[in-house]
Amino acid sequence: MKNRLKVLRAERDWSQADLADRLDVSRQTVNAIETGKYDPSLPLAFKIGRLFEQPIETIFDDEAA
Amino acid sequence: MNVVSETPRNLVPRLILAGVGLLFGGGLGYLVGRLIKSGALDASRFGWSDSLATLIAASLVVIGLIIGLASFSRKAVGRMIDSSGTHVATPAQASFYMQQAIVIFLAGVLMAAPVVTAASFEVIPMVVASIVMLVILAIFLVQTVYNLVVWRRSDELLRRVTSETGAVCFWVLQGLLFLWAAAEKLELAPKLTAWDIMTVLMGTYLVVASIMSARRGLS
Repeated sequence: MKNRLKVLRAERDWSQADLADRLDVSRQTVNAIETGKYDPSLPLAFKIGRLFEQPIETIFDDEAA
Repeated sequence: MNVVSETPRNLVPRLILAGVGLLFGGGLGYLVGRLIKSGALDASRFGWSDSLATLIAASLVVIGLIIGLASFSRKAVGRMIDSSGTHVATPAQASFYMQQAIVIFLAGVLMAAPVVTAASFEVIPMVVASIVMLVILAIFLVQTVYNLVVWRRSDELLRRVTSETGAVCFWVLQGLLFLWAAAEKLELAPKLTAWDIMTVLMGTYLVVASIMSARRGLS
């Protein structure tokens, strides 16, 4: 699933490790989400939305919809 | 013309790891070779599954040792987590890697124990076999506890990879096991021992785990 995680992270000048610490996941998880190799669970997606103060739909692009 | 080449930054840790692996693996191989040469270990009676189990066990022991030793340095763990950055691991991250190292190392010891014991005796005395089995049980329990701890501390990606690995292994192995069992029943295939099957299971698990990890960008 495409997403704007990398862009949002870059806007705040956070490294993947910084974002991972804020989301309480591993850096590899952040990297996997950004590269589209892994779609986050619903709780994690909501956590991302709350962190960036944006709705999930503006961060993740469900191409199938 | 002068050509200055610079090794990409994320290649350096991999080269270091490869070098350390060669050192540990070579050392372990030398030790085993000396034991065989001295007659303490008799590898002549090794079946194919004993050789495969020994190879898997040695790999697990070496990998476990390397990760375990690296986990004493938060900087080294930071490089394992993020090879392209200057991330220094937190104490919690370092201890997580140590726990994973213990799981891997003990898995290697568990696989090696029966094979090494069998290779050390022409006929295994009952007392020795019983003691080794008790030690295996104890290590198995400790390893299971650490496995559960690692599972609980893992984030969702690592759990997903572990679950996918289990699912793929089940589908592949149960199919293969059925086909072999049918062929064995029809006397078209030789009989397999429990150790043969266990070794194939472990080898398959490690291969599938590597593939699943690479798919998700973990390796």
